[in-house]
Amino acid sequence: MTDTSLLRRLWKALGSFELTIVSLALLLALVFLCTIAQVHLGTLGAVKVYMHSVLVWWQPGTSSFSIPIFPGGTLVGAVLVVNLVVSTIQRLDFTWRKSGLWIVHVGLILLIAGKFAAGAFQIETNMAIEVGQTVNYVESPRHMELAVIDTTDPAFDDVYSVPDTLLEREGTVAIPGTPLKIRVKRFFRNATLSRLGPGDPPSMATTGVGTEVKVVEKPPVTQDNDINHTTAFIEPMAGGRDFGTWLVSTDLTTPQGFTYAGHSYRMLIRPLRIYLPYAITLKKFSHDVYPGTNIPKNFSSLIHLSNPNTHEERDVLIYMNQPLRYDGKAFYQASYGQGDRLSILQVVDNPGWLIPYISCVLVTLGLLIHFGLTLRRSMKRRQSQKKEG
Amino acid sequence: MKLSKAFPWLAAAVALAGVVFAMLPQGKVRGFAIHRYASLPVLEGGRVKPLDSVARNSLLVIRSQQSFRYEGRAISADEWLLDLLFRPQVADQQPVFVINDPDVLGLIGLKQTPDRYFSFDTLGPHLQDIQDQAMAAQSVDPKERTRFQTAVTNLYERVYLYYKLRNTMQLAGTQGLAFELQTLGTPEAAQRQADLAKLAQFRPLPPLPGQRPDAWESVGEALQKAAAGGTMHPDLPLFAQAGTAYASGDAQAFNSVTRQLESRFEAERPGAVREAGHEALFNRTEPFYLGMVIYVCALLALFISWMWKSEILQPTAFALLVAGAIVHTTGLAFRIVLQGRPPVTNLYSSAVFVGWGAVILGIVLERLYRKGFGTAVAAAAGFASLIVAQHLATDGDTMEMMRAVLDSNFWLATHVVTITIGYSGTFLAGALAIGWTFWRWIRGLSGAGDDPETGRALMDMTYGVICFALFFSFVGTVLGGIWADQSWGRFWGWDPKENGALMIVLWNAIILHARWAGYIRERGLMAMAIFGNIITSFSWFGVNLLGVGLHSYGFTTNGFTALMIFIATQVVMLGLCLFPPPMRGPGPRKA
Repeated sequence: MTDTSLLRRLWKALGSFELTIVSLALLLALVFLCTIAQVHLGTLGAVKVYMHSVLVWWQPGTSSFSIPIFPGGTLVGAVLVVNLVVSTIQRLDFTWRKSGLWIVHVGLILLIAGKFAAGAFQIETNMAIEVGQTVNYVESPRHMELAVIDTTDPAFDDVYSVPDTLLEREGTVAIPGTPLKIRVKRFFRNATLSRLGPGDPPSMATTGVGTEVKVVEKPPVTQDNDINHTTAFIEPMAGGRDFGTWLVSTDLTTPQGFTYAGHSYRMLIRPLRIYLPYAITLKKFSHDVYPGTNIPKNFSSLIHLSNPNTHEERDVLIYMNQPLRYDGKAFYQASYGQGDRLSILQVVDNPGWLIPYISCVLVTLGLLIHFGLTLRRSMKRRQSQKKEG
Repeated sequence: MKLSKAFPWLAAAVALAGVVFAMLPQGKVRGFAIHRYASLPVLEGGRVKPLDSVARNSLLVIRSQQSFRYEGRAISADEWLLDLLFRPQVADQQPVFVINDPDVLGLIGLKQTPDRYFSFDTLGPHLQDIQDQAMAAQSVDPKERTRFQTAVTNLYERVYLYYKLRNTMQLAGTQGLAFELQTLGTPEAAQRQADLAKLAQFRPLPPLPGQRPDAWESVGEALQKAAAGGTMHPDLPLFAQAGTAYASGDAQAFNSVTRQLESRFEAERPGAVREAGHEALFNRTEPFYLGMVIYVCALLALFISWMWKSEILQPTAFALLVAGAIVHTTGLAFRIVLQGRPPVTNLYSSAVFVGWGAVILGIVLERLYRKGFGTAVAAAAGFASLIVAQHLATDGDTMEMMRAVLDSNFWLATHVVTITIGYSGTFLAGALAIGWTFWRWIRGLSGAGDDPETGRALMDMTYGVICFALFFSFVGTVLGGIWADQSWGRFWGWDPKENGALMIVLWNAIILHARWAGYIRERGLMAMAIFGNIITSFSWFGVNLLGVGLHSYGFTTNGFTALMIFIATQVVMLGLCLFPPPMRGPGPRKA
């Protein structure tokens, strides 16, 4: 067998109906498994295992190794795209009869590509604002940061932040713009804190409130509404000396800090912040219910948008099904709290948000043309049959 | 016109006449114009509706029926509610609580009997036990509850609804509303007024001129206001008189006060009176129930037609199907107007709409192919989906208010309607395939021989319906994605309901590709269409059972069993479809 015939056979296989049907069936099975798994893993967890993966792994019993048992969503999706492209090139001829199918397949390729793009580029964050508060940052719902804040000048704070991905490596991190270095001695993605009991071994912390606290590591959360209580033991260092080992955690609200070379520093772990070049003030939050019930009728946030760079000053009403799209981000009314004084906006940054809209129009149009042509042919055939009969 | 030509029309006309008859108002009960009192509007569950709807939905929740027989007489929901409001000592003896769970029966010291209905008086001594058990169960996540915990929570909620209704117009065990009006300022009255305000299940007092249209008041609130020196709501004394008259058996006085209330409401809130009247008419007619009955008649006519007088009965079956479809469509249109919403707003209305879509498609197929198969599957699908709808209605008000996130007529009309049409199409294809299976078995067993022409026609129909279903489920799914993008910023979030819709799209796409590639022929197509039923039932109901979405547990246990039974029947069908009996050579061809 020559190389060319092998290549030709591969080319044929890549565009074959068998591959289409097998891939679609695998995708169907994955979607089903992903749906069932959500009961225990939560949506994000199940999607990670079945959809955003090349292979689905299985860990037998209590063993430490995993074996791949099923192709994952990414792999099946990629094969489907290749199959779509190759079969479109191979089989579809440029005739009016097939024009509908052409449009459908182009639309589908765009749709799957858009899904990949969204997976790669979409960033979801939150903005929690209390009535009257002004906020110029969004927070990540998944990632934490160690914020080292220079509070020396009462007029403003200098914030230096270390993302959790860096803390996780448990090494020494230099804080740029300061003489400080932070040595991460232990990092817990998720943990519970409690008061140190008499029988417990002493805390790793040598200073601050952490000396009284017991830390128990927990597996990272999988359910979508839970958050990780990220915790770390850190040792700030500067000028050849250290400032003791401190416990920092999302669960500790007591301010902790030290002074070096006339600068006061505060340290805390909080959701990762991304600062915006504009600010949003919550003027009013409304939460109406139908009279005599708890059924929500309406949630809306009246906000003021203030952008010093563009001199924009305007009010915007964000409500259900009516997001604010601004500066490449979309702000949605997501949740609320604190007796209707706190509004939580979901902020989504997705450069490819328009792609699904275009592909939807294409596929719909294509299906209409194709099935319309098929129906017309079948009607003609039946009519001619009737005439014969 | 010959009788054989006229008979189908006659049958359809009789069916429609029956529906018109159901629209007529009921007569008086024991001399009381109960239906007129029950047509008065009240505010409950966030919307204005006739008291009749409160009565029917409450009885449906409590007893799973809209009326019952007691002491040899049919008691309507309206009469039951009036007794509960004004003669609780009578209502408390009537067996309205349906209890099936043996452990719950054990809790209240009762044995399982063929009669599963119990009165409030029977439950009375055990109310504390029921409450304690329900409170303990409520701390458990609904998904994790045992059968007993689910059943006892459910019973507690029904008892609580009963208790609230019983204390809405006047406190049970007191001397009634007229007494409250006499003792307005006394120190003990304040507590009773507060209890009335807290327990009110509905608000009967319309907003006065100048007030907001949704500012309806409960009896307790109106009494508190009057006691605090405000003006007395002018309708309150009338309600008190009506209550006294009803309790004392004075039908004449009751009817005359009801007329006064009617004319006051007409003057104050003409819009509310009109809408409540329409809704009461809709309730009384029960178009979906009657439609279901007509579909059954159509099916029976068709079955008989295959053995006897086919030339008369087959057109009769089609005429009955059309009559059923007219009733079904009118009911659907009436609901849309009443609610001011697109046809699908919850699981119940999706069942009504899925059936409607399948019936209309079936009628089109019957017009195209005229083999009786279109009629058969349409009538069967219409009947089945309306049965499902009847069972889903026991959750209470089927026209409940929409939660804020769903409150978008545009998306309900586009996304929800298209996706539901997609369900209709997939189910209809499955029904056609089941029809094909039966046809194939009957032909095989009876030795009638092959009939490739009919087989070919059935395949064309099924294929066409699958194309139709793929189109609507795809468009519906993507529109859902766009709605999600509009409302929370992600086009696709792998939510169970989205996944369910995607599964239908994928399955229909697999069928069509397998057909185009020539991997499957008649039998394969039919088998895959039957499997489509399983996938659609999972997407439609199964995902709600996972508890990840937003659905009540009441449906979960019963719904799970029902879904499993449905899937089992489909698996049997699949087996019958894949292994048909051998067919003996081509049969005699019809000219």
